[in-house]
Amino acid sequence: MTHTPAEAQAETEVTRRGFLASAGVVSSYVAAGVAGFAGGAVTASAVSASSLCTQSQLRAQEQAATIPFFGDYQAGIMTPLQAYGTYMAFNLKSSTGIDQARSMMQLLTDDAARLAVGKPTLPDGDPYLATEPARLTSTFGFGPGFFSKLGLAGKMPVGFGELPAFSIDKLQPEYSGGDLVIHVGADNPLTVAHAARQLTRTANTFATPLWSQTGFNRPQYGEPTDQTGRNLFGQVDGTVNPRSAQEFDAQVWASSGPRWFHDGTCLVIRRIQMDFAGWDKLDDTKKEASMGRRLSNGAPLTGTSEFDKPDLEAKNAHGLSVIPAFAHVRRANTGKDTEKFLRRPLNYEDGLLPSGEPNAGLIFAAYMADIQKQFVPVQQRLADLDLLNTWITPIGSAVFALPPGARRGGYIGEGLLG
Amino acid sequence: MKNSTSATQRGFSLVVVAIAALALVGCAPAAPEPVTPTATDVWIKAVPELMDGMAMTGVFMTLENPTEADIELVGAKNTTEGLTETAMEIHEVVKGDDGEMKMQMVEGGIVIPAKESVTLKPGGYHVMYWDLLKPIPVGSHVTLTLEFSNGTTLDVDAVARDISTYAG
Repeated sequence: MTHTPAEAQAETEVTRRGFLASAGVVSSYVAAGVAGFAGGAVTASAVSASSLCTQSQLRAQEQAATIPFFGDYQAGIMTPLQAYGTYMAFNLKSSTGIDQARSMMQLLTDDAARLAVGKPTLPDGDPYLATEPARLTSTFGFGPGFFSKLGLAGKMPVGFGELPAFSIDKLQPEYSGGDLVIHVGADNPLTVAHAARQLTRTANTFATPLWSQTGFNRPQYGEPTDQTGRNLFGQVDGTVNPRSAQEFDAQVWASSGPRWFHDGTCLVIRRIQMDFAGWDKLDDTKKEASMGRRLSNGAPLTGTSEFDKPDLEAKNAHGLSVIPAFAHVRRANTGKDTEKFLRRPLNYEDGLLPSGEPNAGLIFAAYMADIQKQFVPVQQRLADLDLLNTWITPIGSAVFALPPGARRGGYIGEGLLG
Repeated sequence: MKNSTSATQRGFSLVVVAIAALALVGCAPAAPEPVTPTATDVWIKAVPELMDGMAMTGVFMTLENPTEADIELVGAKNTTEGLTETAMEIHEVVKGDDGEMKMQMVEGGIVIPAKESVTLKPGGYHVMYWDLLKPIPVGSHVTLTLEFSNGTTLDVDAVARDISTYAG
């Protein structure tokens, strides 16, 4: 049997795609109608691409890939996690009333829609930085202060509000709170920085910058797409995320409460500082016991692959629980479907702490329809007991209500501000 | 009664227009109807407050000429009520003999080459507002009419934007 190189290439691609399609993660994202994932499927074949020409073409495709800005939902939530991201919070100026807030959201929408297709914003002084969208998404949300300052307290979503104080928290004001959040994500860090600066210009007219947190993840391309990303402790993070459209409907998109918030969602951002000096002293057995999952592939200690359901009843030869009582998986695990949510974390590394240790950790970003019902019970259990607390400290916390998506000609937040 | 009268008048007007159109066709070979260039991404540099000597700003946009012949942007008129009473000008920024960048009126207007587009942007071509009588806050809109060398005009709406990313 003889193949021309082109045929061989085509066959390899088909085979890989078939494989990817059979993997749960990919097929469910496709089923969920997440545009832009096609980019991921195409780029997976980069692994087998033999010619430099093909590889450079694929890289160009990755940089040119776009995620639609307009739609029922805001982009950047259901979108498969990009490699880089920044969350920025602002407080409204005292001069910003509802008319100015509306103006701000109209301008931010215009900026974001242009950037999403690789075009500069209207006043962009660096337009050439806009030309590689690399799956750029810009997502907007309102903190509790947005509602109270604008006289909209009566329109707050059900179950939305500040988190209770948790015993493990050592919150710092420079990473906490905010009236407005802007989240920018893309597979190119230069794209993220440029978009963040463009959107910041617009926000700065109406609001004052409060904090900015930038982080990173493993790129999706050129890697097995059937495994969840890892945090800086090497743990597989995000295994039980919703993946199908049905799961997103059940966990993420609001369908009750004020009408303007339907198809919106709530965002909880927690900055989790990691103690590497302590963590490095543990052997693998202790690391795995604290999590309840294997470091190699994220499988629960009672299973063999990442997506196996943890068996919390399983006992070892000594009659002890295989997944210990203090393990993160057991404490976070819930039999209740009402206590599940989407995690879209970013790792951060921002230089050194005064001690010389890395100033690094996790920007934990979780999305759910109802914070009180879905998030607070889980976080409370983790605060009460979770061995991981020994090496992690929440140092920032903020909550935001993210409106639904906008139609072309409309703007994000129109249902609330229109 | 009033409605039916106006409907009749409208019908009459339509007939007149139709006859006029027929008359035009009859006059062939007349010069083809001049084509109006298009304007997109129209914006104006915001002026949050009027300060001494700073009561001016520029309008920026992309102009596209779909025709086979060059067209020039030769003028503009403000149509925003109470914004200014001074005539608008078409400007460019050039390097002067002393090496300093300076703003000056464009001789003959801004050329939009045939089948091409030209972008007016900060530091380059712009439509100049002088002697503003009120501020132009970020996000507000102003309207103006562009005037082209082929006799056509175009009403545009410019959204006010800040240029500096950290103006505060």
